[in-house]
Amino acid sequence: MVNANIKIKTFLYRYTSVILLFFSILNEADFNNLGSKYFSFNFAYILIFYYTLKRGDGIGYVYIFIAGLFNDVVNAVPMGISSLCYLLLCAAAVYLRNITLRPNIIKDWIFFLITILILNFITFSYLILFFNHEINYFNQMINITFTFLLYLFFSFLFKFYDNIILGRYS
Amino acid sequence: METSRDDFVIAIRSAFLKKGNQQRFSLLSLILFSIIFLILGSFNFKLINFNRTIIKEVIYISSFIATIPENTLKKASNKVSDHFGHYDDYQIAKNKLEELKKKDLSKQIIEFENIELKKLIDDYFVEDSKTYAKVLLDKNSPFLRSIIINKGSKNGVKAGMIVYDGIYLIGKVVEVNFLTSRILLLSDINSKVPVTIQPLNLQAIMSGLDKQKGKLQYIKGEKLINKENKELIVVTSGLGGVFKSGIPIGTINLENSLNKNKIIVDFYTNFSQLKYVKVLSSKKEFINLDQSNKKTYEANKGQILKMNSQLEDIKVLLQQKIIAKEIRNKLENENIRLKGIITSSNKKLDEQDKKIKKYSGNNIEFLELNLLYGHKCRRTFLKSNLFKINTPKYKDCVLKKGLIKNN
Repeated sequence: MVNANIKIKTFLYRYTSVILLFFSILNEADFNNLGSKYFSFNFAYILIFYYTLKRGDGIGYVYIFIAGLFNDVVNAVPMGISSLCYLLLCAAAVYLRNITLRPNIIKDWIFFLITILILNFITFSYLILFFNHEINYFNQMINITFTFLLYLFFSFLFKFYDNIILGRYS
Repeated sequence: METSRDDFVIAIRSAFLKKGNQQRFSLLSLILFSIIFLILGSFNFKLINFNRTIIKEVIYISSFIATIPENTLKKASNKVSDHFGHYDDYQIAKNKLEELKKKDLSKQIIEFENIELKKLIDDYFVEDSKTYAKVLLDKNSPFLRSIIINKGSKNGVKAGMIVYDGIYLIGKVVEVNFLTSRILLLSDINSKVPVTIQPLNLQAIMSGLDKQKGKLQYIKGEKLINKENKELIVVTSGLGGVFKSGIPIGTINLENSLNKNKIIVDFYTNFSQLKYVKVLSSKKEFINLDQSNKKTYEANKGQILKMNSQLEDIKVLLQQKIIAKEIRNKLENENIRLKGIITSSNKKLDEQDKKIKKYSGNNIEFLELNLLYGHKCRRTFLKSNLFKINTPKYKDCVLKKGLIKNN
């Protein structure tokens, strides 16, 4: 019984982030497009950055790569662009983890802002230059701003989940 | 300085090349994979397209499965709200039905005439193939507003086919897989449709703006001022040959347009509530002027004439009804006025009768007695002590049968 509990908790600890990532990408209720003109955010960016930064083994690069492909197909953007962005986000998070001696949430937060700005720049440039997509910059600015602002909230939420529910295995 | 650069290089190298305990690929290799995917995506090779189609099919189906719980909840909430709004909807539908019944005959005539005229200018399209499809996914992307349907090349769906919700245009097929297809909705910013604004007959290009709105381009707002104050309807113009002409899209929201300096179109269809759609392709009707065509043409023409005459009759009857109503109103007013006059005349007659009754009784008695006893009261040369005629004393004398004598 105890073993089963441990197994379930270990499974949840390892795979909650993966399940959340795929669920947020595949589900119709997308935080990227909530129907409001003045509120949207990129949940996948927050999730990937947080878990790659805070956990040594992260979410799993292959899962992130596949999730990116899924996101591209579902959102009808060229295949590979989201994977590239997610993996670059991972690279930035791992780099930050490597150079950080004393973790500080504010520094993580600012680093996250710079990273998502660069990633969005790459995405927009690619879509505009190679695919002639028209982009609503106002919506994208709203999206980036709320992704940045909500990072703090979600990082506390994820930390709470890890510490309280599965804290003993972390 | 040298040390900090080394640290940077080590951190970067570690980030890109080091594999964790659970990782099978390094970050760098997966980034390279992504870039390869992007590059291959821009080529149009058969093998790549086939692989891409398979990946898409798998993802669409898994995405459809992932959305089942959410869709079940949505359906349940829609059912509850539908249930509460049922009576109101029924009343609205009833009123609309009455209105539509009235318009139906004129519409039929216009349709017939329209078909005949389009045939004359060689612009009449007939259905080539029609497929009904279920909406699998309605995921709004920040870059594209589209839906996925459960019909693909297996069912004869081809890129460029037009998609309807009922009679309203909602978009066109932009991507076809074996079992699924993607529809680019009119609300997408990249969707460009040549349209005509009726009844002003103005041409414009419509692109998506919002979830339920589109905007008109290459047209100025001042042109939309119509003196008759009729509703402005946006339909496809048929220019470019992608969409056939006359498919209804939406109405122009003049209030919003004036406020935002954009000409905004409110779509007839609610894109967030799409469940089943019709995928259609149409082709020009080949007119073969043989005997059967001629007969059909004449039969149609005869039907149009018959219906036109019926419409004329109805119009005349309606006019007659209006005139009869006016006459009836006039007669009723006249009646009321005459009744008033009769009442006042009756009153006057009654008063006169009363007066006559009051005076006639005394006078007749006086005249009768005057005949019998007048000579006893009348002054003459010989009877000078009597009274002059028409004096009160004379009258008194007559009434007393000549018994009074003047002193």
